Amino acid sequence: MPWPPKIFWVGLILYYGYTVVCWLGEATAGWNHIPLAVEVYAALLGTWIVPLILSVIYFYFPEKAEAEG
Amino acid sequence: MADPIVVGITVLYFLAIIAIGWYSRARMKSATDYYVAGRQIGSVVNGLALESTYLSPASMLGLPAYIFILGYPFWWAMSAIIAGMPVATLLTAAAMRKYGPTSFADYYADRYNDQNLRWLVGVIVIFGAILYITLSIVGMGIFLLAILRFPYLYGVILGAIIVMLYVVFGGMIATSWNAAFQAVLMTIAAVIAAIGMINYFGGLGEFHAAVLANNPKFFNTPADPEPNHILAGTWLGVVGWYFTWHYGFATMPYTVVRFFTVMDMKTARRSIFWCTLFAGFFYLGLEIIGAGAKVMIEKAHPLVVSGAVKANALAVLKYYATNFGVGTPLDYSMVAAVEALQNPWILGILAAGGLAIAMSTAAGWVMVVNVIVTRDWADMMLRSKFAKENPVLMARIISVIFLAIGMVIAINPPGLVLDLSGWAFVVIIAAIGPSLVLGLWWKGATRTATWITAIIMFVLHLYAWLYAKLTLGHHSFFFLGPALGLPKTAIITPHQVWAIPVGFLLFIVISLLTKKPDPEVVEKYCVQLTEKV
Repeated sequence: MPWPPKIFWVGLILYYGYTVVCWLGEATAGWNHIPLAVEVYAALLGTWIVPLILSVIYFYFPEKAEAEG
Repeated sequence: MADPIVVGITVLYFLAIIAIGWYSRARMKSATDYYVAGRQIGSVVNGLALESTYLSPASMLGLPAYIFILGYPFWWAMSAIIAGMPVATLLTAAAMRKYGPTSFADYYADRYNDQNLRWLVGVIVIFGAILYITLSIVGMGIFLLAILRFPYLYGVILGAIIVMLYVVFGGMIATSWNAAFQAVLMTIAAVIAAIGMINYFGGLGEFHAAVLANNPKFFNTPADPEPNHILAGTWLGVVGWYFTWHYGFATMPYTVVRFFTVMDMKTARRSIFWCTLFAGFFYLGLEIIGAGAKVMIEKAHPLVVSGAVKANALAVLKYYATNFGVGTPLDYSMVAAVEALQNPWILGILAAGGLAIAMSTAAGWVMVVNVIVTRDWADMMLRSKFAKENPVLMARIISVIFLAIGMVIAINPPGLVLDLSGWAFVVIIAAIGPSLVLGLWWKGATRTATWITAIIMFVLHLYAWLYAKLTLGHHSFFFLGPALGLPKTAIITPHQVWAIPVGFLLFIVISLLTKKPDPEVVEKYCVQLTEKV
């Protein structure tokens, strides 16, 4: 049975895990009411940096595997 | 009255895309060039083209409008849209490039060994295409209004004509190179407008404080006693918004076909990095603009400052509906916020970027429809001699017909641009997403499941969305809520997003119950395609 490579699942856990942690922080500790916090964890990290990390590992590791044969 | 600087920047934009289109047209020698750019597009250009095709006026106008309505929790929907880009890399993009078809419907016809699937997939895709072409022309109308200060109706007509000329004389090479240019332009436009807004308040801290002072509930989540809006007032609603567009990049035809245009699988994977880089930056700008739109309009919009309209953002937007005929005035909130900066350079770049995003999206969807109608239906299914001998001419005729349909609907659109986008996303992902994704990753996916899931989910979702919108008052209210004895607002499910998991579940159940596919076909279009993605 074909199955997406391990790195695919690592990326999903990274991104969904990050989102869940942020939502838990909002629900339990009110992170969203800390001045400028949402601009950092939801905008800068959540909308840009974390997805960008995913996009890097999703081409880096498959290419590395190809190079190693 | 039109500002000469704004008009001048727009003219420069058009000169640039005409030059790029002219250059690329000279290189177009065959129908393959027209459909999939001769499979010669590199990762940076394809990544940028992916960005500008995927991110439509639903992004540029619609996302800030929804932040304006729902508040901060909607930022997470935007996060999920961007994160959906890399998710597509390994889920569908690399395998689809390895497969290397010409049309979106090819995969379904080959994997499930049934040429008639071209009809079914085509109908569903064309439904989504009409919604997207419509919202793109709405975007053209709104940005042309911002530039030329003439009625929205004129903008819709002129916008449709501009896109017709653009698509008819270019094909996918023109749209790939122009779309890349347009991606850079729209990203710069959104970021400059966001910086202008932050500077207006004196810094990011001051901006945050101004948004909060204007609307104390803006940053509230469902955990707070008073959410900003009922549609983001429950975690179910927030999660629903999060997933509405999330898997679209992996399954929507207008992005999937862009994976066909690149040189190889490595380029397909890398192009998504460039797409995520620019699109994420673009969305940062839009999040700031959406958050600041209300306070910006109420403090500094020329209509407010001059006293023509009271300091109320909705009153300003209503002014545009009344005086310029904008069918969905909330879609104008982003432009109105930038108008409030009273800087013609920023407005000019934004308007050019807005035209860019509208044109590239319309062009991308028209190309998808072209390939389905001209190649799949007329040539392959109906064996039309005319389509076989004149593929490019026929594709151009089809382009004009669909753009004309979009233009007519855009005059009085059935919803906000983001409503049209969400509707198209969920119906396509729920109906034909399972057979695409599971067809690649599960040997047990069957032809019968593809037919049944596509037909049931297409009809059911259409009914649910329209019932919720027309009878319950909003597409986000669960269509069965009242039948279950619940208040209509009890279950918030944006765009009836429940349809996506239900579609996948239905597909799996029917596949398990129906005749197994031919092992040779499965080996070729499932196992081999997903090896070493």
